[in-house]
Amino acid sequence: MRLQIDVVKTQGNFTLQAAASVEGRRTGIFGQSGCGKSTLVHLISGLLQPDRGEIVLDDLTLFSSVKKISLPPEQRRIAIVFQQAMLFPHLGVKANLLYGYKRCNTANRRIDPQAIIDVLQLEPLMKRGVNRLSGGERQRVALGRAVLSNPRLLLMDEPLSALDDALRFQIIPYLKSVSAEFGIPYLFISHSVLEMQLMTDRILVMKEGKITEETTPDQLARNRMAGSQTGYINLLTLKNPVMESGLYRYPWGTGELLISNGQPGESSLFELTSRDIILFKQHPEAISARNLLECTVRELFRSDGRVGVVLAVHNETLVAEIVRSAAEELDITEGSTLFAAIKASSFRRLN
Amino acid sequence: MSQSIRRSTILLLLILLAAAPAMAGEIRLSVAASLKEVINELTAKYEKAHPGTVFVNNYGASGALAGQIEHGAPADLFISANIKWMDHLKEKKLVQEKSIGNFARNTLVFTGSTGIKVTGMNDLARLDKIGIGSPKSVPAGEYAQTAIKNAGLEQQLQGKLVIAKDVRECLMYAELGEVDGSFVYRTDALQGKKTKLLFTVPQKLYPEVVYPVALTVKGATNRDAEGFFNYLKGREAKSVLKKYGFIL
Amino acid sequence: MLLLTPEDIQAILLSLKVALTATILSLPLGFATAWLMVFRSFRGKMLLEVLVNLPLTLPPVVIGYFLLLMLGRNGWAGKFLDAWGIQIVFTWKAAVIASAAVGFPLLVRSIRLGMESIDRQLIQASRSLGARWFDTLLTVVLPLSIRGILAGSSLMFARSLGEFGATIIVAGNIPGLTQTIPLAIYDYASSPSSTMMALSLCIVAVAISVLVLFLHEMLGRNLEKKESL
Repeated sequence: MRLQIDVVKTQGNFTLQAAASVEGRRTGIFGQSGCGKSTLVHLISGLLQPDRGEIVLDDLTLFSSVKKISLPPEQRRIAIVFQQAMLFPHLGVKANLLYGYKRCNTANRRIDPQAIIDVLQLEPLMKRGVNRLSGGERQRVALGRAVLSNPRLLLMDEPLSALDDALRFQIIPYLKSVSAEFGIPYLFISHSVLEMQLMTDRILVMKEGKITEETTPDQLARNRMAGSQTGYINLLTLKNPVMESGLYRYPWGTGELLISNGQPGESSLFELTSRDIILFKQHPEAISARNLLECTVRELFRSDGRVGVVLAVHNETLVAEIVRSAAEELDITEGSTLFAAIKASSFRRLN
Repeated sequence: MSQSIRRSTILLLLILLAAAPAMAGEIRLSVAASLKEVINELTAKYEKAHPGTVFVNNYGASGALAGQIEHGAPADLFISANIKWMDHLKEKKLVQEKSIGNFARNTLVFTGSTGIKVTGMNDLARLDKIGIGSPKSVPAGEYAQTAIKNAGLEQQLQGKLVIAKDVRECLMYAELGEVDGSFVYRTDALQGKKTKLLFTVPQKLYPEVVYPVALTVKGATNRDAEGFFNYLKGREAKSVLKKYGFIL
Repeated sequence: MLLLTPEDIQAILLSLKVALTATILSLPLGFATAWLMVFRSFRGKMLLEVLVNLPLTLPPVVIGYFLLLMLGRNGWAGKFLDAWGIQIVFTWKAAVIASAAVGFPLLVRSIRLGMESIDRQLIQASRSLGARWFDTLLTVVLPLSIRGILAGSSLMFARSLGEFGATIIVAGNIPGLTQTIPLAIYDYASSPSSTMMALSLCIVAVAISVLVLFLHEMLGRNLEKKESL
């Protein structure tokens, strides 16, 4: 997927001036509210006309003020997953799912409805009306509906912002698997760094109507570490633990981790904030934390008054966060050997 | 501030009092619509001869006028186009019984601007729309309905009768061409400009048209009203009636 | 005891016929107008709003008079119709037009309210899923406007039942043809000896209105139930 945008749009006091070239299947658009993310979504999907500029998707010109081209939304085959699901209240689940499918040219129909129903586990919902579904169920149906319209590009406009945490991490696997299995590229719009880390490979950062930089999720997380409530979030996918005196012993890289809130068998996603990793210059003899890892400092980075320490341990990577004075005091440099202490209860399971 | 409020209040009161009705020398008439020109001329003449008299003339369907008087509308004199409505007020003791007299007579005719040849009652079935006063309140309409019934034409004329609120509206419909023709009095037909008197309704089909006149109970106490009432019985009134085609 | 003459029954049936016809005929234009006003912006939109709302503030007799000027034998539309042998004034068609003119703003108003409560994002969703604008109109806007349409229709129907001023001017008072309930009552009311007859007809008029309002409420509740399933 290749999307080229270069547009200007003024609405009242707000002017959007966005220029970027995006390649790849999983791209994010990151910014705080009011930065113009939604306006950009509307411009790309054709629901709003730019004042001037050009939008080209793969080899198709969607909009060009110079060439006087402006494809209406129904011809662009760009589906949107909204923050509030936006299911048609007067239609049942099945009719909602097939709304876009029916309007898709038979030549373009590559996705089988039953496959989507299976992947998104929608079978038990099929005969229901949409008004009594839970938030998570609604978003799954909305996702199914968007995908079944066989779009060239999926625009996900803050699709998880209206869901609570538990639900959010339930839906994310669906979003990823649908895109992967059916090969649909997406633009994922959000103001959450964590969601960016989970959903995207490349990110466009927006501020006050402009695209200010193009970066990776990891880099974004690092830049935002100091200013965030939760520091840098380390994400670990672990499975097949062994139970031991109330704790779960998970294999991790060449070593293992002891985690309080694990679950047997299946793959679990854990988050560990950089602020919960305590660093020791020397091996502390007796310590309550159940995880004591010997690691090497691979890299250091600055983030406002904090220092991010990228640790190589057990063939894996963790990012710890300390204040500048601590880094100076402990004389931490690249290549230093340190001990990282992490409590078993610091790992938060996301799904 | 309070000075100007006081002044405005006094001014307001004066205006309200000045607008109070029933001034001296005022005579209020309720008259059947077909007598409009006659009474207008007579009241004008009387006003000239008796300066200080002011007339308030209310023309309409006799039934409607009777209803108004019944509900308390101020009137000193009432002239009806049939006996029915005068009797109605007599029963309700709203007119001075001893003053009831006959003012004029009239004939019912059919007038219109249609191109279709109409020479008698039986030709009416060929017309599309026929104007008639509301039989419930307009004497001319009641007379016409009686004539239609007696001529046996009720069924045939179903859906053709356009109801007017008084005999003048009937004439207007005919003049404008909204109906092919209307039942009006001979005196009304003579007023028509675009309409032609097509035929006279045979007298045997409907009762005689008489115009009873009377002083209302209120009017009987009004000296000026009494004066005008007597004038209506005089020679000048009769000559004006004749001029407009009324029978005496 | 209700005293109803055969002419009264005629008036009742005619009233129902005129009100129903006026409402049904106005629906497509009313829907289209409401849609234009809610979902489209264009130059002169304010003028349209004023024109549509005008009959609400004008005295019905004024509306009737304008209709008469337009559709009468000498009116600019009337002349054409006359040439084709079509007569509108003083027929029940004129009564329908009078009711439609007077009730139209009420219809549009209700449908507008219904449409304004439709979340715009639903329409965006529909367009992005491949529906052209009239597809969206029929499959999303129309079904979600049903409540407004029903509310507007019953309001317009009830208003038509009571239409007098415009009707009497442009359709005249013709028993069996254009004498609707209000005109019949007016006729009775001008005659002081017929008050009881007028009363019977009035009771019937009230009963019909109450029935229409009940129906309107029940329909509204039924729709609510359906939506929450």
